[in-house]
Amino acid sequence: MSEEFNWLDYVEQEESAPAPARRSGLRRFLPRLPRLPSLPRLPGRPRLPRFPGLPRLRRRRVDAAPGQPSAADLLGAQDERPLEALDDRLLQLRERSSADSQPEADAGQPLYDVDDVLVTPALLQKPGGVISADALAKAQEQQVELLRDIVGGATQDEGQGGRRLMPGRALFSLGALPRLIVASVLLLGVSLPFVSSNYAEGELPPSQFPVAAQGAAAVYSLLDSLTANDTVLVAFEYGPMAAGELDPLAELALRHIVARGAVPLIVSSSPIAVARAQNIIRAINRSVAAGGLSLQHGIDYFILRYLPGGSLGIRELNENFADVVRVSAKGVLTGLAFDSLDDMAAVALIAESAEDLRNWAEQVVPELEDTRLLAFTGMAAAPLAQVYADSRDEIFGLVAGYRDAFTYAEMLQAKFGASKPQTGQPEPEPASSNAGHDTQADQPDAAGAQAERAEATVRALVASLQPSPTAPSPTAPPPTLTPPPTLTPRPSNTAVPTATELPTATATVETILIVEVTSPQQVRIRRGPTRADDILRLARAGDSFEVLGANADGSWYNIALAPGLAGWIAEFLVEERTSTRAAFEAGQASASAGPPAGPVILRSVFRFSLGKTRPRYYQVNSPTTSDLRDYVLLRNRSQEIPRLEAMTLGSLAAALAIALGNVFYALGALRGRRREGRA
Amino acid sequence: MGRAGISAFVAFAVGLLTLLSLLLGDNPALFGGQPGSEVLAERLALPGDVLLRLVVIVVALSIVIGIANLLYVHVGRVARGKFYSAVLLASFAFTIYWYVTNRGDSSLLEAAQVPIESALASLLFFSLVYGGARVMRKRADIWGLLFVAVVIIVLLGSLPLAELAPVKAWSDWLMAVPVSAGARAILLGIALGTVVAGVRAMLGQDRSYRG
Repeated sequence: MSEEFNWLDYVEQEESAPAPARRSGLRRFLPRLPRLPSLPRLPGRPRLPRFPGLPRLRRRRVDAAPGQPSAADLLGAQDERPLEALDDRLLQLRERSSADSQPEADAGQPLYDVDDVLVTPALLQKPGGVISADALAKAQEQQVELLRDIVGGATQDEGQGGRRLMPGRALFSLGALPRLIVASVLLLGVSLPFVSSNYAEGELPPSQFPVAAQGAAAVYSLLDSLTANDTVLVAFEYGPMAAGELDPLAELALRHIVARGAVPLIVSSSPIAVARAQNIIRAINRSVAAGGLSLQHGIDYFILRYLPGGSLGIRELNENFADVVRVSAKGVLTGLAFDSLDDMAAVALIAESAEDLRNWAEQVVPELEDTRLLAFTGMAAAPLAQVYADSRDEIFGLVAGYRDAFTYAEMLQAKFGASKPQTGQPEPEPASSNAGHDTQADQPDAAGAQAERAEATVRALVASLQPSPTAPSPTAPPPTLTPPPTLTPRPSNTAVPTATELPTATATVETILIVEVTSPQQVRIRRGPTRADDILRLARAGDSFEVLGANADGSWYNIALAPGLAGWIAEFLVEERTSTRAAFEAGQASASAGPPAGPVILRSVFRFSLGKTRPRYYQVNSPTTSDLRDYVLLRNRSQEIPRLEAMTLGSLAAALAIALGNVFYALGALRGRRREGRA
Repeated sequence: MGRAGISAFVAFAVGLLTLLSLLLGDNPALFGGQPGSEVLAERLALPGDVLLRLVVIVVALSIVIGIANLLYVHVGRVARGKFYSAVLLASFAFTIYWYVTNRGDSSLLEAAQVPIESALASLLFFSLVYGGARVMRKRADIWGLLFVAVVIIVLLGSLPLAELAPVKAWSDWLMAVPVSAGARAILLGIALGTVVAGVRAMLGQDRSYRG
């Protein structure tokens, strides 16, 4: 920066009152609306606290004399690089800056309002406006003019009246007629399906994804193969602008993960997206509230801290995953102990733009070994996402846009019996379909639907307890999942419970392996076979549990706590013995006769308070996985089909408008050329 | 060596250290699996790890500084009677108050920001269609015709109408071949550009390190 002038010393000048804008078209006949109120001016600039030792950045008042250089002049005065080191374009820019900073070029403008400084009359008189005067070449100026003309903005010749580069054209003038026609056609196209189903066009999306090695079917299949011990990292990389398209995908992915009993860890490099994730969890909680349940943060899901730094933040997630998962979005310790991203069963990325997907594909995917990245994107990011999905084995995907969300919901409904969308025309419900919770009141045979739904839930529960947890969907290839923690079967006469035996357990005599707590003190049952894992519940001496397996060295037993919920207990705290299933279940029933009714989970919460870390323990009743599954997939889908029809009609209207508009303008251009040829 | 030279040297050294750390760290196979190679790889990874954390902390702090600067500027504008700056400051204060008194309640986001941004996205649809309808107004040539034809084919090809099956085949081809090739070319260009920009930044060609 030059030594002669410090731009920080500028202060703003009094603004001259703008001349009243000329009104054209029908607006001339409309009454003038009062201007927005201005706040009273304070007698002087507020005195801000000064800290000794810091440089004084601004003077309180300096009269800007004519001839003071503008910001463009300062650019020209830079002496960081010798002139001979500049290329032609920068030299040209420097010359233009010097030419624009003559004394009459409205010097001394305030720097508070950037446009007041940059948009000087001298610059506005340039052919391409302020941007082209400073930075654009001739060809780029022409492109700017072309683009401005295409989108209907005013050219520079039209816009000399004031500071605005693109003054609004009169709303009802003849020149605005094409814009009104196009807007009306589009508005009709996207609105009619919400008014009446008579305007329904097009077919609904398929009820299943087409089979592809790494397509959307593989994404569904992988999430459907999750088990109760799995955790899934869910990255929310979208803002409110894409919420309409991506919220359904995010919600379905989260509901599916929770329905499988897995735990989602939500993370984002956008603070807004973290809040968005909380809202989606709240929507899911409204569904499960019908069963008197709720998802508990810290047990059923985690929202981790925001990752600052964009792609660097994502890199940090990869490099320091243990640190990132340690703290939640509210600054509370989560108690999670994961070493790397490979501890996740999958990484689900819900991305708004191709840039977000590129960041994750470059910063995270190369470090993954067994874990897969599942891509959920909008239609705008789909082409680039498809390239990544086709190129790398680590990326499964992609599920893109609202139509794929509909198909995903249909597949969940087929499997779990969740709610079905209501079409505009009332249709008789097929006998084999299962009505959703929020639509049951409208069904003629609500009791029958309830019975069918209960039966479907039992079928889903039975399917989830199959010995092979990675049951693929019939249309999808088996996914290559990370194997669950090693369970070494004990050489004993243990009969692993089969799913088909569960509903009729009393009909067979079966010997099972159980462990009984022998420690005189309360013992902890954890989520995994290490002392660092979360505590699921406590057990007392005499409590017994069915053994599902053990870890590799036999120091921890994997035990069943409830249907779909398993935990780990240290081997030295218990004694192993065999029992019949009937006797074991009878003992469990008598033991559970008294309160508490549900499994009790001990949760530890650490709160920072002025440097002190104070652990606080309290007990919460956590719903079992099977309870959750009954309600977690219930969604209100009444607007899905009208939205799909609106998308179809809107796209048709857009294609029609583009085609007819261009035919009209092309004919006009041809006529003009012919006229010029004659002349 | 002046102050700028020292700054450029420090930037170059830190950049090179980070680069080597990321390339060589945590990769014992590069050292032939010799005894101690794992320890060496871990030590090489450490500088990059530390610098990465420092950068993230600085970025997080810069957000706080940005908020302070925003408030500073708009307090000055309110003093000059700027109405919208007063709205901004009032919104800022109200949002802080709301979040502190209703922990975890993000209904403001749901009620204000999401509808506003969704509405903007919807307006973009109208603007794009209107722009597409006026392409031939200014540029009635073969390129304008090509642009319009591709837009219409892709739009119609995305529709779930059985009558448009042939158009859908063309649309699929366009997406699978030219669009995919263009996307790959963009990715290659970004990668090459990132390498060049990184080298230029490390050598002090693009950035001034004069402090």
